[in-house]
Amino acid sequence: MATTQSPSPNSNDDKPQAVSAELVQQANQVQQDVRPEATKQSVPASVFVNSEPIREDQVSNAVKFLSHPKVRGSPVIYRRSFLEKKGLTKEEIDEAFQRVPDPSPSSQPASLSQDGQANSLSSVQTQAPIQTPQPLPAAPTGIVSSGTVARRQFQWYHAVSAVGLLAASGCGTALLIKKVIIPKLKLWVRKVVLEEDNDYAKKIDAKPSLAEEAAAAAKAAAAAASDVAKASQEMLNSKNEERRRFEEFMNLMDAQVQEMKSMSNSIRKLEGQASSSGRAFSDHDDHRASASSTKQSYANGNVDVNVQPGRSFTLPASAEPPHPKSFMEKMEMIQRGEKPSNIREVNDMPPNPNQQLSNRLITPRTKPWEAQNGPRQVLQSQTSAEGLNQNGVDSGLNYMVDDESSTPWWQRKNVRITEIENEDEVKAAGSYGVKTNEQPSVQRTWVPPQPPPVAMPEAAEAIRRPKSAPKETAMQEQLADEQSAAHPSEVTDELQRITKMSESAGAVEMNGGFLTGNSTVIQEQENSYEGN
Amino acid sequence: MPVFKTPFNGYSVRFSPFYESRLAVATAQNFGILGNGRVHVVDLAPTGPVINELVAFDTADGVYDVAWSESHDSVLVAAIADGSIKVYDTALPPQSNPVRSLKEHAREVHGLDYNPTRRDSFLSASWDDSVKLWTLDRPASLRTFREHAYCVYSVAWNPKHADVFASASGDCTVRIWDVREPGSTMIIPGHEHEILSCDWNKYDECLIATASVDKSIKIWDVRNYRVPVSVLNGHGYAVRKIKFSPHRRNLLVSCSYDMTVCLWDFMVEDALVGRYDHHTEFAVGVDLSVLVDGLMASTGWDELVYVWQQGMDPRAS
Repeated sequence: MATTQSPSPNSNDDKPQAVSAELVQQANQVQQDVRPEATKQSVPASVFVNSEPIREDQVSNAVKFLSHPKVRGSPVIYRRSFLEKKGLTKEEIDEAFQRVPDPSPSSQPASLSQDGQANSLSSVQTQAPIQTPQPLPAAPTGIVSSGTVARRQFQWYHAVSAVGLLAASGCGTALLIKKVIIPKLKLWVRKVVLEEDNDYAKKIDAKPSLAEEAAAAAKAAAAAASDVAKASQEMLNSKNEERRRFEEFMNLMDAQVQEMKSMSNSIRKLEGQASSSGRAFSDHDDHRASASSTKQSYANGNVDVNVQPGRSFTLPASAEPPHPKSFMEKMEMIQRGEKPSNIREVNDMPPNPNQQLSNRLITPRTKPWEAQNGPRQVLQSQTSAEGLNQNGVDSGLNYMVDDESSTPWWQRKNVRITEIENEDEVKAAGSYGVKTNEQPSVQRTWVPPQPPPVAMPEAAEAIRRPKSAPKETAMQEQLADEQSAAHPSEVTDELQRITKMSESAGAVEMNGGFLTGNSTVIQEQENSYEGN
Repeated sequence: MPVFKTPFNGYSVRFSPFYESRLAVATAQNFGILGNGRVHVVDLAPTGPVINELVAFDTADGVYDVAWSESHDSVLVAAIADGSIKVYDTALPPQSNPVRSLKEHAREVHGLDYNPTRRDSFLSASWDDSVKLWTLDRPASLRTFREHAYCVYSVAWNPKHADVFASASGDCTVRIWDVREPGSTMIIPGHEHEILSCDWNKYDECLIATASVDKSIKIWDVRNYRVPVSVLNGHGYAVRKIKFSPHRRNLLVSCSYDMTVCLWDFMVEDALVGRYDHHTEFAVGVDLSVLVDGLMASTGWDELVYVWQQGMDPRAS
């Protein structure tokens, strides 16, 4: 189903919006229409979209809520928030806004709510055959004007007075109808009857027509009476509906009243007592008020004396956690306007806003949850000599290789190896068993195979000490005769074989590094050979 | 287990995704009401239970959250209470830091999250009711998501879908967004009170957990979000932060104003599997290491940062 989205609720926010966001919204208007359809290529993204059909009952309730004059006076964002909290989906909310003519919050709602009131009463007016009593539209206008004043401040006592006014107006209209319409009806009926009498005295043959007329008049009177009854019934119904809507709204108000009461209590407590017995939060409404009153930064402790630093969350009054005593002291101090003495001037602006970020030393690793399914990334740790944190880098990664006996204290009980890149760690920590307090679960991690056994201890030594061993052999070559020339080539052959085996185990980089190191040294060796 | 004492009240702690032994700590003076802030980068010493400070950065206003870059091992971003986001590079000398100051939010920035799959962008959640999307190479935000009716306390990227994220707000709703869409794609009215934190399950990308002022944690399945999958009760006061384990499917950790850090298994009948009460003030920050299974850290208003292995006592030496 194609839902037409109305961007007006969003764009009518009082808060400033980033221009880019607005442009994006307008640009993607078309996209938004297509979105509810199942035309997305990526199936997973559709999971995060609400695919429920629009619920008519929810939408009609929302329409009733939105049609209420009090609600129309409130900012759009609060109306949407209320409906969202009731569990309506975006589509349902938009549909409700569509059905109810949506005024912009800045325009006067007086005319529109007057229309609303007039609509509800127009049925009464059309039914009543006699002229519409003048006070009728005057009464709703009076209510509406009080409504426009009240919409600025949603105070509970305004709401109560509005309820009272509405009830009074309802009673007034009922009384007026009784007093005005019925006497007029009676007069009319009497007139007709009098006319009948006169006519009867004069015209006898007009009797049947008179009788017909009287019957017609009686019927008309009955019809008028029934119409009046219907009208009053409708009035009652609309009043009941309004009452119902009002009750819903009153419940909302009650909740707000409760919060405000608790807030005022806590403020009184705060003001009254300097010691710790009264622990309370400053309500979030306060720091919202503070936000709107001033947008000065709190940097370096500069703050308007009148601003309440309410950086706290609302809590139900019964469930406030006990704040630290020094917290209350600080709050009171700041509310009095004193600045805590430990704040100092800090300049935290970037010295060079165009500073280049340093080159990264490590390529990102796969996450444990990705390692299950996705491809494995190979870790390359370049031991570059740049940067202040060279020590940090080394200690973070290479300590395992250097000293196999010392494992970090946080690894001792943990043996779940999840990254293949940490093969060095495997060598060191391979002796540990499975974590003792681990729940039995599916084997999700890949444990690298054991490194191949060392074929030639000499070669292993040569690998470990690339610079020293071949040099020693080179020295020996120079002193010895040609037959010893076989040694370095043997060594290199062994090196290559072993490095190939290690390659198959997966640890390319380390041995690769050694291999390249070796080859350069061997070349040096050969050069020195040729020199000989 | 090592302890690190910060001069200011702790607000957030995060493990580095590159170095197992590295953490960042966000702190604010005077409980974050008014005053300076500091970002600490600390290292766990491999030899003994000691935490050493690598570098610290002072800020003019309190730091509410900190996040490590997923693309650069030495870069971290900090959420500042004056509405700015500072970018720090620990590989550069301290006098070159911060490298960037991104000032766009009108109110305090309360939450940050770096994209773990795409690794190139991060989100900021602010008390000005909006969420902004940033990359490190641009001085201005890429997108602003403005739909919440009240402060946004926390954002979390989906661990599998690089474009999807969730935001938790004081308007008592959690919204699911897709950066390709102009508006939110789903609204979950999760609690009757403010929702302070949200996090996705790392192994089931349709499960999301929300923590609220009403002391409960609820697990939701976005495919059927009218009824929660599970409700975890047990905290005595508002739950401030939750995090799903990167290593275990059903495990999540939470910290609360009741000064405890709790470990939950939401698939089990008796969900509370661990409780740590080492803090002596509000516990406001908790994190689980992505690199080391079972390693967790927490911080609180008692100006202490604890790092310990799951199952051990954080205060044991």
